[in-house]
Amino acid sequence: MTRQTDSKYYLKALKNILRKGKDSQSTLSDIASKLGLNFGVIGCDEKLLLGTFSEEFQSFNLSLDDVVYGRLLTSNEDGRLLANIIMVLVEKELEKKKIGNEVLGLYREINMIYSFSEMISEKIDEKSIAEMALREASQIINSTHGLFLIYEPKQNEVVELASFGLNPEKEKNIHKLNVLLKELINRGTSAIVPSDKIIDNPALNHLKTIMYAPLKVKHRTLGIVILGHNDEKEFTAAELKLLTTISLQSAGALETAHLYQKGLQEAKEREEAIRSIHEVSQKFVPNEFIKSLGKDRLTEVSLGDLVEKEVTVVFADIREFTTISENLNPEDNFLFINSFNKRMGPIVRKNGGFIMQYLGDGFMALFPNGSQTALRASVEMHSELRIFNEERAVKKRFPIKLGIGMQNGNLIMGITGDIERLDAAIISDTVNTASRIEGLSKHYGSSILLTDNCKNNLTHPEEFDFRYLGPVQVKGKQKPIDLYECINGDSEQLLKHKLATLNTFEEGMKQYFMKEFAMAAVTFQQIVKKERNDSAAKLFLNRSAHMITQETGDDWKGIASISSK
Amino acid sequence: MGQKLLIVDDEAHIRMLIEQTLEDLEDEGVDLLFAENGEEALNLIKEEEPNLVFLDVMMPKMNGMEVCQIVKKELNLAHVYIILLTAKGQEVDRQKGLDMGADRYMTKPFDPDEMLAVAEEILKV
Repeated sequence: MTRQTDSKYYLKALKNILRKGKDSQSTLSDIASKLGLNFGVIGCDEKLLLGTFSEEFQSFNLSLDDVVYGRLLTSNEDGRLLANIIMVLVEKELEKKKIGNEVLGLYREINMIYSFSEMISEKIDEKSIAEMALREASQIINSTHGLFLIYEPKQNEVVELASFGLNPEKEKNIHKLNVLLKELINRGTSAIVPSDKIIDNPALNHLKTIMYAPLKVKHRTLGIVILGHNDEKEFTAAELKLLTTISLQSAGALETAHLYQKGLQEAKEREEAIRSIHEVSQKFVPNEFIKSLGKDRLTEVSLGDLVEKEVTVVFADIREFTTISENLNPEDNFLFINSFNKRMGPIVRKNGGFIMQYLGDGFMALFPNGSQTALRASVEMHSELRIFNEERAVKKRFPIKLGIGMQNGNLIMGITGDIERLDAAIISDTVNTASRIEGLSKHYGSSILLTDNCKNNLTHPEEFDFRYLGPVQVKGKQKPIDLYECINGDSEQLLKHKLATLNTFEEGMKQYFMKEFAMAAVTFQQIVKKERNDSAAKLFLNRSAHMITQETGDDWKGIASISSK
Repeated sequence: MGQKLLIVDDEAHIRMLIEQTLEDLEDEGVDLLFAENGEEALNLIKEEEPNLVFLDVMMPKMNGMEVCQIVKKELNLAHVYIILLTAKGQEVDRQKGLDMGADRYMTKPFDPDEMLAVAEEILKV
């Protein structure tokens, strides 16, 4: 401080005791009256602060360390005593101020650290912790450069999280710096580095002074915070203490951030694991099944959960599978079945159905949206199969034939088993019937067979073409079931033939049921002559021919009774 | 006429800190007054009608809230600008304080620079 600022500062203390301190004012007046003198106090700015004076008053300088900050004017020489008292009071006031300033300085630090720790504890990523630490540090510690580094033990590398004021050229020298920094980090202490000690380090040698503090959590050092200045200014011990405090707070926040990220990562992994289990379980028990039970996921179902629903049940079966599998070893058998299933599953799902069960040589699929979707899927499965067979032909493999049967009706889906072993199950007569119908498709040589029940459920029957195949007595059923053949799954050639002879076939059926067996035989003969592969026509030709010689009573209704499957 | 600023806190070191913080205001002709409890504060407010009061909330005898309520609601001294001072973490008192008619709220530890800026803004110096 210059003498001039000193005198102003002292004058202020003088003003303080005269203005604010009512006690000191009255003490001065008391003493003055005991000494029998009048007095006036004038500041070094020549302004009257207290009392009065006249020309003949004696003047005594008020000073501290030879710096005059005012004058006391008194009516006699005893004023010297009063001047001394005033100077002592001013000195005391200055001491008080000095302590007050120091306390305020400390308070500022506390306040800074308080708000810093509050702010930094809200940060959960390393980078913003580092940035905040450097920002705060540079605000309270006069510095031109800053570097916030952490040590990554896995890579044995020092990584910069934040910096300011650093020369972009430092990148070139970072490898040289790495060694130094690792050493500093290992040391785990804070220090002010004298200017002559940093010359050797190319990345920092443009700095005149630096200081650093470790980022420490308990006994581990996570990294280091460095501040530098390119002036001849030396950092003070108090500034180092502040930097150390900031570093400590930052290290704590970093550790919390690490733990938080770790917890987050673990939670993510756990969730991922659960999700993949959920995904796999969905493949074993169809999600649609679980949804039908009114549950969101497999883990929510319990023994006894059930729901009754109207669905279309579709059985698809590879014809002559036994013959095929006899010629294959078990592994090839499995590969063969999988190559087939792989192509059929997506068609079922695409049409809103799901595969309830794989049956070795085929599968059972459920279509909750009714027989329109089920029949569409069935036709598509046949056309996909034709593509599959063409591919197999190229590889000189035998073609596969597929029979599909479907029935519509109520079924109960539920969870069965016991506490240790649960399974999704369906209980329904519809399933049995659908299975039997599929069995019949072999007998009639149809690619797709459906019941009247199923046909009546179609929302757009005009999409397909059908042939009525008459009533059939299915084993285990009291009433006979009317059967229809959907011809749209047939090969192009066969479909063309069946479409061309649709009316003839219908005529033949009418004749058959009116017991005009000879005429029916002729009608079916016409159809078979055109296409030897029309199995149903061949079947009814045989039946008609057979019936010609049979006695039929009034109760004969042409109900077929087939004992296969 | 000079303006008056009253500092009310039961802790001597806080009073000293605030005095030190607001010292520069004295050069602008602002008188700094002090009280160490609610009663003393209330008497000084009645007597001096300061322009601005920094009022600690937690004090023995009448607390800051009560002082504030009497000044604002009973004495109707609307022109006495009251800033309540409360320890951090007790922000629940904030709304209560404002309901009692306090003009502003400040938490302790206070930021000295902020405190001086606020005082200068209110006293327009």
